[in-house]
Amino acid sequence: MMNTATQTPSAAQRFKALCARFPFLPALIILMLLFALNGFFNANTISARGITGLFSTYLALMFLAVGQSFVVFAGDIDLSAGNILSLVNVFIITMMNASAGDGATTLGIMALGVLVGAGCGLFNGLLIAALRLQPIVATFATSIFFTGIALYVLPVAGMPAPMIYWQTYFASFFGLPFVIYVVALLLVLIFLFSRSKVVLQLLAIGDDKQAAFQSGLPVTATRIKGYVLCGVFASFAAFCLTGDTASGDPLVGSAMTLSSVAAVVLGGSMLSGGFGTQLGSLFGALTIGLIGSLVYFVGTPASWQNFVQGLAILIALMVGILISRRS
Amino acid sequence: MITKRIAVFMATTAMVATAFSASAADFKIGLSNGWVGSEWRTQMISEAQEMATMWAEKGVEVDVVVQSANVDVPGQIAHVRNFINEGVDAIIINPNSPTAFDPVFAQAKARGILVISTDAEVSSQDAMYVGIDHNDYAKRTAKWLAETLDGKGSIVTINGVAGHPANEMRVEGYREIFDAYPDLKVVNEVNANWEQAQGQQAMQNILATYPDINGVWVQDGMAAGAWRSIMDAGKTGDIAATGEIRKDFLDIWVENGFTSAASVNPPGVMASALNVAVNLLQGKELIEPANKGKYENAMYLPIPFINGENVKAVHAELEGKPGYYSYTSVLSIEDATALFK
Repeated sequence: MMNTATQTPSAAQRFKALCARFPFLPALIILMLLFALNGFFNANTISARGITGLFSTYLALMFLAVGQSFVVFAGDIDLSAGNILSLVNVFIITMMNASAGDGATTLGIMALGVLVGAGCGLFNGLLIAALRLQPIVATFATSIFFTGIALYVLPVAGMPAPMIYWQTYFASFFGLPFVIYVVALLLVLIFLFSRSKVVLQLLAIGDDKQAAFQSGLPVTATRIKGYVLCGVFASFAAFCLTGDTASGDPLVGSAMTLSSVAAVVLGGSMLSGGFGTQLGSLFGALTIGLIGSLVYFVGTPASWQNFVQGLAILIALMVGILISRRS
Repeated sequence: MITKRIAVFMATTAMVATAFSASAADFKIGLSNGWVGSEWRTQMISEAQEMATMWAEKGVEVDVVVQSANVDVPGQIAHVRNFINEGVDAIIINPNSPTAFDPVFAQAKARGILVISTDAEVSSQDAMYVGIDHNDYAKRTAKWLAETLDGKGSIVTINGVAGHPANEMRVEGYREIFDAYPDLKVVNEVNANWEQAQGQQAMQNILATYPDINGVWVQDGMAAGAWRSIMDAGKTGDIAATGEIRKDFLDIWVENGFTSAASVNPPGVMASALNVAVNLLQGKELIEPANKGKYENAMYLPIPFINGENVKAVHAELEGKPGYYSYTSVLSIEDATALFK
């Protein structure tokens, strides 16, 4: 008894220190638990094939959530992220179908796709940071606007992606599936951004906009940068989605926007800004995916699946808060 | 202590889960529905589940597993991957996108899983479609409207979601018919996103803008909203407009003697698809291969038609059903089996 009494606080303290240093830790714990539960109910989900499937399905949401984090850090929000994804998806699909379809042109078209995403982000940023429109309503409006453009580019879902494109997405290189390399790339990007000036500035603005302004931070320019980065990551998400779906669909991304916001929050970031990690957002995206699968694998009746899924997300959110508070 | 509790929890849930899934079924069929916004979808799932139990009387055990939730396209791709991981024999899906499932259906087929889409056609050549032809669905009511108006006058159309494949096929269908009547003018086409309230709002605006309108072509639940506006404006007797198939609507249709007609997209399409799936899983071959539609992988089911002549009979058939219940029709086990060699 003596031993446990003296050890427990020190263990808790150590955990607290860890959580302070790595705010994504609660999200990681929840993710691991969900992963284990999924594997328990269906062993195939934790096989190499199952994990590859999980990544190919949710890579797009992972990128979108990481992108959403940039604006959430500053206390902003982007409700058009999923619609930017749709627009880039139909843009690259129609361009690819109009071109020769070899590797070099495909890469060129993807570069243009990044510009489209960045352009949409810049538009959002100018409306919000420069013209001072409220982010929720402004991006709600631009989400409809971007959908309108996407419908103009491709009026109805259906154009196929070139073989070279989606076969690469499902291919393996040096014994590892392509999507694993993309996950690795995303992790490197997250690592680099975690030490970047722009993320620190965004967090400072989210923490206290007035103080940030008074201490000489370029608040307007930084918020615009946040939206541009969000748009750029939405275009990366579009590349993944185009790989996994091998087609263009002008309405494909709209339902993903709120999932991306939820992923950011599940990852431990605060919607009011000033606190959060992008690694957490990545874990949050996978958490949303795994909850959906787990609800099915435990045998929830069809009419209760929405209810249980919503409840499970709420529980994940609460558990995350409990873990970080207790420590 | 906590680990012990988790272990106990996992063991109990596992027991519950096996209690649900342990059965010596001949075939396991996964049903995926990616949108739960209307009673039509709920009825679609429950009719398919009932149909599966009816196979037991034929000596075939069909185990049905269902994933039904509001998901985005990646979320529904996850449905399919979950079914693949579980090792089902067939997947029947009401897809959220016509094209986005091509790669994942190819993966399912590579593992020997039969994939059938219903209600909305898919481009994948690794899947087949069992459902109605949405183009024909629109043509029938458009033809009825044109003939009811003697081929002249001005009409408006109220459509679903712009860019949605079923909506685009329906729009294509009615345009083709109306184009053949030179004195019939389509003065406006609006979108009301398949929502009853938006349909009502759209109709109000239309009546304010074009008070002398003769006909309205409107689909599904929006029709109930549109007719409500027509009634509110006191124009019930002056306007011919298409209708829908829920009991609520049939009630007011019969009561007020609307000049209306409706093509039926029955919620039984998924049950019909299930009957086709079981026959295919038994290794049988279709007499007439499923090669219709623009993707050349479709098998079209008959579209029941309701108009002034049979609406009373249809309405009587639904006596005692709840208001949200849709008129349905299913390819029975016998009829489905008769399609095979």
